[in-house]
Amino acid sequence: MTRLKTDHAVIGYGGDPIVRGVDVEVPDGKITAIVGPNGCGKSTLLRALVRLLAPTDGTVLLDGGDIHRVPTREVARKVGLLPQSPIAPAGITVKELVARGRTPHQKVLRPWSATDETAVMSALHSTALTDIEDAVVDELSGGQRQRAWIAMTLAQDTPLMLLDEPTTYLDIAHQYDVMDLLHRLNTRQDRTIVMVVHDLHQAARYAHHVIAMHDGEVAASGEPHEVFTEDLIQRVFGLEARVLPDPVTGTPMVVPAHAPGGTR
Amino acid sequence: MRILRIGPLGITTHRRTFAVGLALLAILAGLLILALTAGKADITILDSIKAAVGIPVGAPADFIVGQVRAPRALTAILVGAMLGLSGAILQSLTRNPLASPDFIGITMGAGTGAVLTLWLVTATSLWITAAGAVAGALLTAALILALSWKRQGIVPLRLILAGIGIGFVAQATTQYILTRMDVHDAQNALGWLVGTTTGRTWTHVTVAAACCAVLVPVVLWNARALRTMEMGDDAAKALGIRVGASRGVLAVCSVLLAAAAVAVCGPIGFIALVAPALALRVTRNAGATLIPSALMGATLLLAADQVSQQMPATLQFPVGVFTAAIGAPYLLWLVWRSSRGGPA
Repeated sequence: MTRLKTDHAVIGYGGDPIVRGVDVEVPDGKITAIVGPNGCGKSTLLRALVRLLAPTDGTVLLDGGDIHRVPTREVARKVGLLPQSPIAPAGITVKELVARGRTPHQKVLRPWSATDETAVMSALHSTALTDIEDAVVDELSGGQRQRAWIAMTLAQDTPLMLLDEPTTYLDIAHQYDVMDLLHRLNTRQDRTIVMVVHDLHQAARYAHHVIAMHDGEVAASGEPHEVFTEDLIQRVFGLEARVLPDPVTGTPMVVPAHAPGGTR
Repeated sequence: MRILRIGPLGITTHRRTFAVGLALLAILAGLLILALTAGKADITILDSIKAAVGIPVGAPADFIVGQVRAPRALTAILVGAMLGLSGAILQSLTRNPLASPDFIGITMGAGTGAVLTLWLVTATSLWITAAGAVAGALLTAALILALSWKRQGIVPLRLILAGIGIGFVAQATTQYILTRMDVHDAQNALGWLVGTTTGRTWTHVTVAAACCAVLVPVVLWNARALRTMEMGDDAAKALGIRVGASRGVLAVCSVLLAAAAVAVCGPIGFIALVAPALALRVTRNAGATLIPSALMGATLLLAADQVSQQMPATLQFPVGVFTAAIGAPYLLWLVWRSSRGGPA
């Protein structure tokens, strides 16, 4: 089953399209990872999936209808997004930031309800931020800050959560913190998660479904062991690689085939 | 975050913000009473208040308070509030504490529009001057936008630079018009160009109040969109904000508020720059704090007006000179702070 998919979507910013006619399906209740080399169009695809960009041709379908015919606010109640570099207003506290995730559920004359309060509390709890809810976001460590942003997306309370490179600026321990958090949100709260990630190892460990993109097109999609083959890594990333089973999880692990300094 | 709920509408605010709002209202009330009563004429406080609300109490009070002090004070309050609000919107939209209508040329453009109507239309009423100021401000804003637009949208730094440039052009135009005007008219226009609350009448109060009545509700209706857009366009859109439309409406409101303020009192500098920054500091809010900025603007302008009025006669400058005296040190402080690597 899928609530979110594209039908031959061509996406760009004017000029040559960046994503050239892709059909992707986001499986419900699963974690989907979008991987690919820089400039392959993975972030562009993600932006179109949450209606930040309109396809120049083809459609993005949410619950069977063209997402561009759905009012902005309604989309925001179904699909949440953590952008790549969001801006925390100066001096904002963790709880205030998380509370802003409730925006699509509020109206001018009914700004804050018990439901809002519950959603914020539960988002803070899921991300283990309750103890530092009054801390100022600018003063947090990178890992805590990223958790605060994820909590904001959580408070939005959408069945679908999209994340653009959620681990990019974090050290390795915090990267896995974030991944484990997403895994928990998926298994315990049944959220459908779509993430753009650079680290193939993380994608293979945590995703149920992988979409590998190359030059604006989908090069392969499916379960990690189906997608991460030596042939595909060569084709998509131009890297000769060996694919071995991860000693802990058994999921595919990609290592370069050449020794340092060796020829590819 | 301690939240306070007020009334059945469920209007919520931080307790501290609410307390600051109440304190500013109290200060404003105190200043208003001072503005109505202080002066050489010997009028009791009670008579002053009666005269201000239109209850006849006898010859000197009816005129001095009812026709001079009351409209002047109310004009200062309304214009100060409009400037504070205008600056708060612009600073939030551009995420830049230097973006205030008097810095990016909007105020100068409004001044040029107003002077142009004073010159061209002989029998000027305040409404015509106001229309001229609004047209001048909108034209300036459109020019600044066109110059600061790039493929993806507005580039904040370009906006500031284009604004400063356009401001100089507008100022030069104003000065050229002044040289072409009749000496007497030019003298009037010049007095008005400094920014003054002197000689404001109930017509000025009406114009200012009418503009507030139209624009303030629109701004407050879009307040949440404004705060959400501070998190970046992508985040705001993903949170269900129609970013393009909201930004357009808010920018136009900010320009119109500044233009209306210029139409009523001339270009009074620095209130729009300083009031939102002070409001942020005392409320400790993150992001735009609209109502406190408006109250802060009203308080600052009324206070500056009182200071300028109570000075000995030889030192009585128009209020615009005093607001500049508050604003210039603030600006220097901003520069000093940002040069030390802190957030500007």
